[in-house]
Amino acid sequence: MTIASTSPHKLASARDLFALTKPRVMSLVIFTAICGLLAAPGSIHPVIGFTAILAISLGAGASAALNQWYEYDIDAVMKRTANRPLPAGRMDRETALHFGIGLSVFSVLLMGVAVNWLSAVILAFSIFFYAVIYTIWLKRSTPQNIVIGGAAGAFPPVIGWAAVTGDVTLMPILLFAIIFFWTPPHFWALALFVNSDYSKAGVPMMPVVAGRQSTRKQVAGYSLVLAACAIAPFAIGATGAGYGATAITLSLAFTFLSFRVGVSKTEDPSAMRAEKDLFKFSIFYLFALFGALVADRMIFA
Amino acid sequence: MSEIDPKNTAMSPAEQKAYQAKQKQRAAIMAGLLFFLVVLFYLITFVKINSSIS
Repeated sequence: MTIASTSPHKLASARDLFALTKPRVMSLVIFTAICGLLAAPGSIHPVIGFTAILAISLGAGASAALNQWYEYDIDAVMKRTANRPLPAGRMDRETALHFGIGLSVFSVLLMGVAVNWLSAVILAFSIFFYAVIYTIWLKRSTPQNIVIGGAAGAFPPVIGWAAVTGDVTLMPILLFAIIFFWTPPHFWALALFVNSDYSKAGVPMMPVVAGRQSTRKQVAGYSLVLAACAIAPFAIGATGAGYGATAITLSLAFTFLSFRVGVSKTEDPSAMRAEKDLFKFSIFYLFALFGALVADRMIFA
Repeated sequence: MSEIDPKNTAMSPAEQKAYQAKQKQRAAIMAGLLFFLVVLFYLITFVKINSSIS
């Protein structure tokens, strides 16, 4: 027999349960999943397409809940995350764990029953990857944590694609690679100017472990790989000139901003103009690139 | 099997009111979600049956 630890004072509100799903992060997941779904050859009934996006969103929310269940101690010491439901004491860990597991199981079953089982398997793996491999295993043990975490965020367009076609070909793998190689420059740019917060939490972020200069060089290096991946769909003839022109233009700008970060020597976070510009542009870059992919498919398909 | 910890159950009237308000809010949202899922599963079934016929 166990004593229920749930205090009546900590009955989680619906708003806090919603906050546990990291709605802002989810918006990017939903966007890339919709793009994967719309860019895939073939068609999907709107009801099934909506269900696929819903399942992907719920899966992302479940991953976020499990992430916060495990990272309540780190979140408590970081200013950006200290007001989340768990570190702020508005919810107990048990609730977050149950909510995360329940949502995971429901999202995978919904995807499998309503859409197809390949999408469901990839969704299940992406939740496992984010919650266990990234959050529990690697985030606290390697400065490459962001690179590995990027893989978890790269699954949504693949799942969206698989929901339509029932298979995974080279194109969704390239979409995966774009997000995978976009993540390190995006997050390291942020980590460079909020370095102190990660240091305080003891998370081995690249700028903390390898130093700012090494991180800046890696940001520049990753931008080149990202550019190659972004232009590849056009180069292999899988997209039209519209996407090609957009990908080349955006990637040139991204590479320029990344190399500006690469040569920067600033140690004062408030003076890190190049890093802040890259961080802001990286968000626009991903939205614009995936938007161009869908537009290209709609216009030239 | 679990039981409620008696140390945690004592609530002042104000706390009890807040607790019940939260419960009510969650129940209302849960009812809305269940209704949404009923409609969604009806539509999914409809689409699946239609596609298997055609």
